Amino acid sequence: MKILKNIYNLFFIFFFFLFSNLSLANINQLSEYYKTIRCLVCEGQSIQESETEFAINLKEQIQKKYESGMDLKDINQELISIYGEEISFKPSNDHFILWGLPLLLLVIVIFLVRHKYKK
Amino acid sequence: MRKSLIIPILGLVILGVSTFFFFNKGEKRDNENVTLPASLFSTADFYDMKTLNQKELNDVYIVNFFASWCKPCLAEHPLLMELQSKGMQIIGINFRDDEDNFVQWINEHGNPFFHIIRDDGSIAYEMGLIGVPETFFIEKSKIQKKVQGPLFYEDIEKYL
Repeated sequence: MKILKNIYNLFFIFFFFLFSNLSLANINQLSEYYKTIRCLVCEGQSIQESETEFAINLKEQIQKKYESGMDLKDINQELISIYGEEISFKPSNDHFILWGLPLLLLVIVIFLVRHKYKK
Repeated sequence: MRKSLIIPILGLVILGVSTFFFFNKGEKRDNENVTLPASLFSTADFYDMKTLNQKELNDVYIVNFFASWCKPCLAEHPLLMELQSKGMQIIGINFRDDEDNFVQWINEHGNPFFHIIRDDGSIAYEMGLIGVPETFFIEKSKIQKKVQGPLFYEDIEKYL
């Protein structure tokens, strides 16, 4: 019986991939991408983990666009333009002030301190 | 001025200028970039199978996302009925719902919608929907206000 069940499962998986447009590699790429998208309903989670209607719908829409040949980069850009930057867990590069500010302040403080002690 | 003071002052100037530009750039939020998708007007009404003619629409109208499985939608339903009785045009978008449940829900609670369409989620995606119910107030083809969650009397009293 067990063997029969296994054969049945194998057939199911075989036909699933035969008739679906997605290859295993694409599924992996998509699920990796889902991990970078924030679920706006339950903000700590990515849409990959979330089971909310919002996350389910977003995954479906992204998959549709991906299957129709749209690049993940373009999908990401579109998502940001619709939902704002908060939709992505990966911050864009233009937040250089956030990263550069402590360094800049440190340099200023060092110069001020040196100036004071030179006196 | 002493030479050693030049660098910290220069640093502060750079800091000031870049902060100014950073905060002046503005955040892309609150549906600033969201426009009404074409599919909203090209999808046929569930009941009369006609598409929406934009000329039929008033300057001010409402787009409301709802579903039969959504309890808060039921809470705001009387307000939508009241808006409709005052002549407001409401476009209803039934979001990811079972057809039978949707028809039963409308029969049970009334139909305040001027145009009603069923959406598999693509219109919702294009309009940046986060959850149902969600209501967009449109003035002269532009989204003026968005209310996430059920409507309250304060949200609509301006339009009554």
